[in-house]
Amino acid sequence: MVKLRARCIIVGDAAVGKSALSQMFRSDGGHFQKNYSMTAGVELLLKSVNIPETSDSVGQYIFDSAGRETFVGACEKMWGQPSVVCVVFDITSLASFNSCSRWLERVRAHCNGLQVPGVLVGNKSDLSSRREVEAAVAQEWAQSQGLQYHETSAKDMENCDAPLLSLAQAFYSLYQDRRQMIQGLG
Amino acid sequence: MINAALSTFGAQVVLATSSDENHPPENITDGKTETFWMSTGMFPQELIIRFPDNMKVSLISVHSFNVKRLRIEKNAQEEADKFEVVAEKEFEQTENGLQINDITLDGSTATHLRFLILSGYDHFVSVHKVGVQA
Ligand SMILES: Nc1nc2c(ncn2[C@@H]2O[C@H](COP(=O)(O)OP(=O)(O)OP(=O)(O)O)[C@@H](O)[C@H]2O)c(=O)[nH]1
Ligand SMILES: [Mg+2]
Repeated sequence: MVKLRARCIIVGDAAVGKSALSQMFRSDGGHFQKNYSMTAGVELLLKSVNIPETSDSVGQYIFDSAGRETFVGACEKMWGQPSVVCVVFDITSLASFNSCSRWLERVRAHCNGLQVPGVLVGNKSDLSSRREVEAAVAQEWAQSQGLQYHETSAKDMENCDAPLLSLAQAFYSLYQDRRQMIQGLG
Repeated sequence: MINAALSTFGAQVVLATSSDENHPPENITDGKTETFWMSTGMFPQELIIRFPDNMKVSLISVHSFNVKRLRIEKNAQEEADKFEVVAEKEFEQTENGLQINDITLDGSTATHLRFLILSGYDHFVSVHKVGVQA
């Protein structure tokens, strides 16, 4: 049995639903907040994710960061060295999708050149009648950046476990990889 | 004695901030470089080794992989608290073999040595062996 630990940085434009998603990640389910309350810094949450078909788990220290530009500098100081990254946009806002590469760059600048597993999350899938970003387009960009793509609705609690699970699995396979490599050295 | 297993002197690892049951912290004191303790994510990582008696320490040798910044602290008390910093070093990165580093101390006595791995060249680092010279 092994318990890994990962620093998971969540970024994306303001109001795309990062905090709403983070609440859904919570072990106790959390609840969806209809009224927008802006995050003015970093909110830290802890969530343990089991790796299916093993007795192993990944404890994720989730850094839910503010999207509002004014707070970004202060947030970056708290990120430390990220283990995994989650970039969120709102499928009804093309502008929020276009910002994703900038967010990813920002996080990668803190990674000291390390390979950092990541996911791209298109949130608010319940509002698909107002969709501005096609899933195929998001998927393609995600792939070009080595990210896994997931669509979620924090409002309908739809698919909200998928991003963390996929991050946990990627971090876990990185661990197994390194472990085997080191085994060959001693 | 630098090459001998620390465990034969009754030394043991009393604290480690990570553990994979396949790579337990005892692997550090068994004298072998093939077995190792592995960190399981995030920094800093901490290890504390306790000696059965006060031990004079003039040199510490560390076999490791992907450790970047290491701080060593010691104390000469019963309890594993109130440590003083005795060395801090940045290791060079290696690719095809282990990092082997010797750290010289002043030869004063210690009951506990505390290793703080402040950063790494990867998400995960390993420590294979710690040897001590009196
Ligand atoms: N319809 C719908 N609304 C959502 C969803 N997720 C979040 N919202 C709403 O979007 C608004 C913003 O959500 P937040 O989670 O606060 O957004 P944020 O990304 O944390 O914003 P900042 O903290 O300012 O960066 C709130 O009014 C939420 O209720 C969703 O999946 N569907
Ligand atoms: Mg927020």
